[in-house]
Amino acid sequence: MPSGQDIAALLPFLLLVLGALVLMLSEVFLRSGGRGYQSGLTIAFAAAAALAVPFAPQQVLFGGQAVSDGFAGFVTMVVCAGLALSALLGRGWLETRNMERGEYYALALFGASGMVLLGMATDLLLAFIAIEVMSLAVYSLAAYPRRGQRPPEAAFKYFILGSFASAILLYGSALYYGATGSTLLSAMRGGGGALLAAGLSLILVGLAFKVAAVPFHAWTPDVYEGAPTPATAFMAAGVKAAAFAFLTRGVLAMVAGTPFAVGNELGGVLGLLAVLTMVVGNLFALPQRNVKRMLAYSSIAQAGYLLVGVIAASRPESRAQGTSAVLVYLAAYAVTVIGAFSVLAVMEKREPTPDAGSADAWDVSRFAGLASRRPWLAFAMAIFMLSLAGVPPTAGFVAKLSVFQAAAGAKAWGLVVVGVLTSIMGVYYYLRVVVAMYMQPAEMEEPAAAPPTVAIAIAVAALLVVVVGFSPEPLTAWARAALLRM
Amino acid sequence: MGASAETVLFWIFAVPLIASAAGVVAARNPVHAAMSLVSAFFWLAGIYVLLTAHLLAFVQVIVYAGAIMVLFLFVVMLLSLTDAELGLEKLSALKWVGVVGAAGMLVLVVSALAQSGPRAMRAVGADFGTVRAVGRILFTQYLLPFEATSVLLLVAIVGAVVVAKEKI
Amino acid sequence: MNPALQSYFPLAVVIVLAVILGLTLLGLANLLGPRRPNEAKSSPFEFGSRPSGLGRDRFDVKFYLLALLFVVFDVEAVFMYPWAVSLGDLGWPSFVVMAVFGATLVVGLVYVWKKGAIDWSRE
Repeated sequence: MPSGQDIAALLPFLLLVLGALVLMLSEVFLRSGGRGYQSGLTIAFAAAAALAVPFAPQQVLFGGQAVSDGFAGFVTMVVCAGLALSALLGRGWLETRNMERGEYYALALFGASGMVLLGMATDLLLAFIAIEVMSLAVYSLAAYPRRGQRPPEAAFKYFILGSFASAILLYGSALYYGATGSTLLSAMRGGGGALLAAGLSLILVGLAFKVAAVPFHAWTPDVYEGAPTPATAFMAAGVKAAAFAFLTRGVLAMVAGTPFAVGNELGGVLGLLAVLTMVVGNLFALPQRNVKRMLAYSSIAQAGYLLVGVIAASRPESRAQGTSAVLVYLAAYAVTVIGAFSVLAVMEKREPTPDAGSADAWDVSRFAGLASRRPWLAFAMAIFMLSLAGVPPTAGFVAKLSVFQAAAGAKAWGLVVVGVLTSIMGVYYYLRVVVAMYMQPAEMEEPAAAPPTVAIAIAVAALLVVVVGFSPEPLTAWARAALLRM
Repeated sequence: MGASAETVLFWIFAVPLIASAAGVVAARNPVHAAMSLVSAFFWLAGIYVLLTAHLLAFVQVIVYAGAIMVLFLFVVMLLSLTDAELGLEKLSALKWVGVVGAAGMLVLVVSALAQSGPRAMRAVGADFGTVRAVGRILFTQYLLPFEATSVLLLVAIVGAVVVAKEKI
Repeated sequence: MNPALQSYFPLAVVIVLAVILGLTLLGLANLLGPRRPNEAKSSPFEFGSRPSGLGRDRFDVKFYLLALLFVVFDVEAVFMYPWAVSLGDLGWPSFVVMAVFGATLVVGLVYVWKKGAIDWSRE
C-alpha cells in the first residue's frame, strides 16, 4: 500500500485530476449560469498543483516506478504555468466564439495531469499510461471546435499517427521487458544485449514522434494549424515539456549503467536526430507566410535545440549542465510559445469556419502595421518573436545560450555550429513578423480588441520572457538545483 | 511428450491465426475483414493460453473479441462505404516505402531475437500469468499504473463525448 | 503436458462439441428439410412489408458513442476479475484500491448520464 509520503508526493497530479473531475461535474450540474467560473477554477487547480510542488517529499515512489525529485517538480511547474496561461487564453478565445464548455478545461486538466505524471515516471508502464492520458486529452482538444474541416482533420491525423507511435513505443517496451525482466528504467543497468538495444530504439522512435523530431515530425504543421489556437498553445508548451522530461530521464538512465557500447551509438543516433531536426525545422519554416504554420515548424526546430541539451546531459562531463539547460529551455519555450499563440489568437480571423480562405486566416499580412494600431500587442509579439529567435535580452536567448554552453561543455562542437547557424537562419522568419508589424502599412481591417483574459495571458507571458531575459539567474539557479534522482 | 503436445497445439492455433490475419488485410468487404479479425482474436487467445498468460487470454476474448469488435462493426456501418467509395487499391510509391519500412522493422526485431537466443528472457515463476498472480502484482506492485488507468478511461469518456456527441 | 493447460481440457471439449453440434444441426436441416420456396417466403419480410432503402444504411453516430462507452466500462469490468480472484490474498487494502478506481469511473458515469450521452430521445 502507498504510504502518506507517496500520496503527498503525488499531490500535484492528484490535484489536477481532482480539478478535471470538478469541471466535468460542474459542466453537467451547473447548467443555468454562465461559464466564466470554469477558467477560474482551472487556474485555481493549476496554482494549487504548483503550490504543492515545494511540499512534495523528495523521494522514490511506488518501488521506483516514479520519483518526485527537483526535475519532476520543475516540469510540474512548467506544465501548471502552461495550463494556467492556456486557460486564460482559452477563456477569451472560446467565449468570443460561443464555444466555452467545461469539457475544454476538463480535458486540459487531464492532459496536464498526464504530463505531470510523465515528468515523474521512471517506469515504462507508468510512462505509457501517462503518455496516453496526455495524448488522448490533446487529440480531443484538437477536435474540440467541431466546426469546419480543419479541427477534425487535425485531430484525426494526430490520433492516427500518435496511436501508431504509441504502438511502437509499447512494442519497444515489451522487448525491453523481455530483455531485462522489468519495466523499470533502472533495470537496463543489468544490460540485455541485442534485444534491449532493439527495444530501446523502438522506444526512442515513439518518443521522437511525441516531441516532433525529424523524421517523425510530419504531423506537426497540419495539427498545429488545424487545432484551435488555445489547444495548439497548450500542446506546444505542455506535450513538449513532458515528453522531453521523460526522454531526458530515459537517456540518463541509459548512460548511467550501460555496460555495452550502446552509449556511444545512442549519442550518434541522437546527434543525427538533433541535426536533422534543427536543419529541417528551420528550412521548412523559412518560406511560411502563414504565421501559425511557421510557429509549428518553429516548434520542430526548437525540439532540435532541446535534443542538443539532452545529448549534453548524456555526457558525464556536462551532465548537470545539460540537464539544467533542457529545463531552462523548456520553461522559456513554454512561456514564449503560449504568448505568441495568444497574440495570434487575437489576430486570427474570427469566421466560424476558417476553411474558405484558410490560407489568409493567419497570414503574416494580417500583422502589417500593427505597431501603429495596437502598439502594446505589437510590442508583445515582437518580444515573443525575438525570444523564439534567441535574441537578447529575452528568455529564449538565455535558453539557447545555456543549451549551447552545455554542448560546448560536452565538446560537441559540430552540434554547436549547426545550432548557431540554424538559429541565425531562424532570425529571418521570426523577424518577418516584426518587420510586418513595424515597417509595413496597415492593409487589413482593424483587428478586434483582445478579450481581457487573453490580454492578461499576453502581458504575463511577455513580462516573464523579458524578466528572465534581463535577470536569468533565478531561473537557471532553480534549474541547476533541480537535480535528477533516479 | 508434453512439449510435443504443446507444439501441436501451437500449430493448431498459429496457422489459422496467420490465415485470418491475412484475411483481415485481404478482404474487400470491411465487414468480412472485421469478422476475420474476430477469428484472429480467438486464435490469439489460444496462443496466450499456451504461453500461460491466462488472464490475457480472457481479456482477449472479453474486451477484444467482445467490446472492441462491436466498436469496429459500428464504425464500419457508420461509414457504410460502398465499393465505389472504397475505390481500387493503388500501389503508390509511398506504399512501397511503407513496405520497405515494415520489412526493415521485421528484420530488426527478428535479428535482435535471433542474436539473443532462448536464454535472453528471464525464467518466470510457476504461477506466472495466472489470474491470481496478476491480481496480486497489479494491486500491489503496479498500484500506481492501475489507478492512473482510471484517469485514462475518464479521458476516453470525455474525449468520446467531445468528439462524437451531436451537441455538447 | 503442462498442468495449467490440462484445466482447459473441459473448455476444449465444450468448444469441439459446440462446433460438432452446430454443424450437425445445420447439416441435418439441410438434408432433411423440405424446400418449397415461393415468392412470399423469399421476400425479406415474410409478413409482407416491403423493405425501404438499402440494407447497408448509414448508422447514427450515437451508436459509436455508445460502443465507445461500452468499451470503457468493459475494460473497467475486466480489472474487477483479477481483483476479485486475489481479494482473499490482499485483503482490505486492495478493496480500498478498487473503491478509488470505481469511484473515479462513477464520476465518468454520472457525467455521461447527466450529459445525455446515453439518452436516446433527447435531441
